[in-house]
Amino acid sequence: MFKHLTGDKWLGLTAVIAALLLIFVWVPLDIDTGLVEKVRRQIRLGDSLGPVTAGVVILLGGILTWMRPSADPQSLSVDNLKWMATLAVTITVSFVVMRFAGPMVTSLLTDTPYRALRATPPWNYIGYIAGGALLVATLISLARRKVSLSAALVGIIASLVFALLYDLPFDDLQLPPNGDV
Amino acid sequence: MGIWDHAVMGFMSVFSGPEAFSILGVGISITLIMILTGFLMGITVGATPGLAGPMAMAIALPILISIFGFSQDAFLPVMGFLIGIMKGATLGGSVPAILFNTPGTPDAYMTTLDGYPMAQKGQAKKALKVAHLSSVSGDTFSDVVLVLCAPFLAVLVESYLDLPEKAALLILSLAFIAAVIGGSVGKGLISMGLGLLAAMIATGEDFYPRLTMGSPALAEGFPIATAILGVLILGEVFKSIEDMIRSGIQSAPRPAATVAGDRLSFAEIRRLAPHIARSSVIGTIIGALPGIGSTLAATLGYAFARARYDNKRSASDPRFGEGAPEGIAATEAANSAVSGANLIPVLSLGIPGNAAAVFLILGMESIGGFNPGPAVFRVPSDGFNPELIMAFGLFTAMFLTNGLNWTIGGVFMRAVGVMARVPKEVLLPVVLLLTLTAIYVQENTMAAMWIAVGFGVLGYIMRRVGMSPLPFVIAFILGGKLEETARQAFAATGGDAFFLFTHPIAAAFMVMSLAVIVFNLRKPSP
Repeated sequence: MFKHLTGDKWLGLTAVIAALLLIFVWVPLDIDTGLVEKVRRQIRLGDSLGPVTAGVVILLGGILTWMRPSADPQSLSVDNLKWMATLAVTITVSFVVMRFAGPMVTSLLTDTPYRALRATPPWNYIGYIAGGALLVATLISLARRKVSLSAALVGIIASLVFALLYDLPFDDLQLPPNGDV
Repeated sequence: MGIWDHAVMGFMSVFSGPEAFSILGVGISITLIMILTGFLMGITVGATPGLAGPMAMAIALPILISIFGFSQDAFLPVMGFLIGIMKGATLGGSVPAILFNTPGTPDAYMTTLDGYPMAQKGQAKKALKVAHLSSVSGDTFSDVVLVLCAPFLAVLVESYLDLPEKAALLILSLAFIAAVIGGSVGKGLISMGLGLLAAMIATGEDFYPRLTMGSPALAEGFPIATAILGVLILGEVFKSIEDMIRSGIQSAPRPAATVAGDRLSFAEIRRLAPHIARSSVIGTIIGALPGIGSTLAATLGYAFARARYDNKRSASDPRFGEGAPEGIAATEAANSAVSGANLIPVLSLGIPGNAAAVFLILGMESIGGFNPGPAVFRVPSDGFNPELIMAFGLFTAMFLTNGLNWTIGGVFMRAVGVMARVPKEVLLPVVLLLTLTAIYVQENTMAAMWIAVGFGVLGYIMRRVGMSPLPFVIAFILGGKLEETARQAFAATGGDAFFLFTHPIAAAFMVMSLAVIVFNLRKPSP
């Protein structure tokens, strides 16, 4: 049955199902007031009305997309899903390195906890530069389809420049991840 | 204080703000420096394929907020910088279009059609001069219309529209944007509905933050700048990098033929003038309508000019598409005329019409003290209206940018051709890191970076399924305002559930909302 559905038909169907779930499941379960409510003998609009309106707009959009699909419909392909998975892994690993590289290096080289050093160069740059360089270098390498020293250099230089750009002139700003540790 | 006093104070506020430095004892205000810097950066960004004006505005905004903070003194320097980028980028977009056949910004695509053939014929400098003259003329005309129209529109809105009519006007604007952006009304509505939904999360009047599923992470709602940067910037970066992986990296463009025949005679300017004038009007009208961007303005300007040109062309003149200066003039005047007029709905109604306007509104809301909408132009009977002074400060900043454009814009744009050679596969990951850093610096938690990535994935998916993310962003910005206005209107009408239909003007707006949807549905699908 679903084999003959084009990208736009799928999109319309997904939007209709999502809208119905929003209107009939999420809103009743997660909002305490109805579409209208009575407070001190006055009727006023409840908190449900806005989300239900959003749901109705999505529902209408889904029905129209289903009924009038584009002549040249676009849709998510398997390759797109693979790219999103690659991107998710790249970003997750980079963020993890960004979050933990500073505390790890600090614990190896000093007796002072990282929290006490999170505003002190060079310790406060370690996580940001390591994670940022990894993110930039990986994406450049993916685009070029080859790992190169120049990609790593661009990553290091870019993250170092941004670190200095924010850290040197502004005392009250913190680089990632120093506000979280 | 009358309107003239406000205008003078607004004008003076640009020159007498916090001082950056002094020359021969004359203080130069930081606002002037920021306007100049933003303008030069805008031309540079516009000349860099892969970076557009809104992208640079998005990246710059958190950095500017970090520098200037949230005080009223920050308003003009920050907004002056953003306006400088917006105007500069439109001009800069024509540079790689003419020199390398690569539009720097999407609206400069039509410029390639005649600009690059001219460059190949050894008339690159002349083509750049035509682009500069037309762009600046269109921009200046549009700014004049803005100054004349925005206050009158605001006064009309304040005089004739009460709460039900204002709620209906917001609905009309959203319906118009959903219907006209992109090729599909259905997808526009889905995008808009998602934006409204995102705006509803963790807001409302009840003690319990709605739609958070009990999650403390959602209890504060989505930070507006984070979500918008995610959808508009990260989504585009994710898509563009994937495109490069799939189709391979384009080699750096070769420079055009040597520059010669660079004189633009007065007779030639006279020949171009009607095309510039017509396109300026087209661009201004398009710019004033929410949701219709500069690309359509450029396309319409070019199409009208071609029809006119073909009727009057002599045998020796090149055809459109073969290096006709009139083609460049029509395109550049039209796309530049959008940038002033798109502030008409922003300032008079508080409704952003395109991506650049979204970031201007975001800047205004981030700094605070200026709430774009009809109240900005209210002249108090006693005392003064600080928002009106700020609005005139903005107008002054726009005209100063135009002055820079007329004087140094042409020289600077001819010097930034080299930006087209910056490799896109290097630029985009660096933009991603800078955007994530800017978000962290504002929110001070890695959760914000994850939220931005999440919205980036949403923006990516939207682009892949052919859905414009702009209705999402505009609905996200206007969602809270729409709900608040509806609540007030409902209360003011004594709980009339049909307040949108029982007031004639509101009912007319609702009929127009339906009509714009139905009219666009009747158009053949792309």
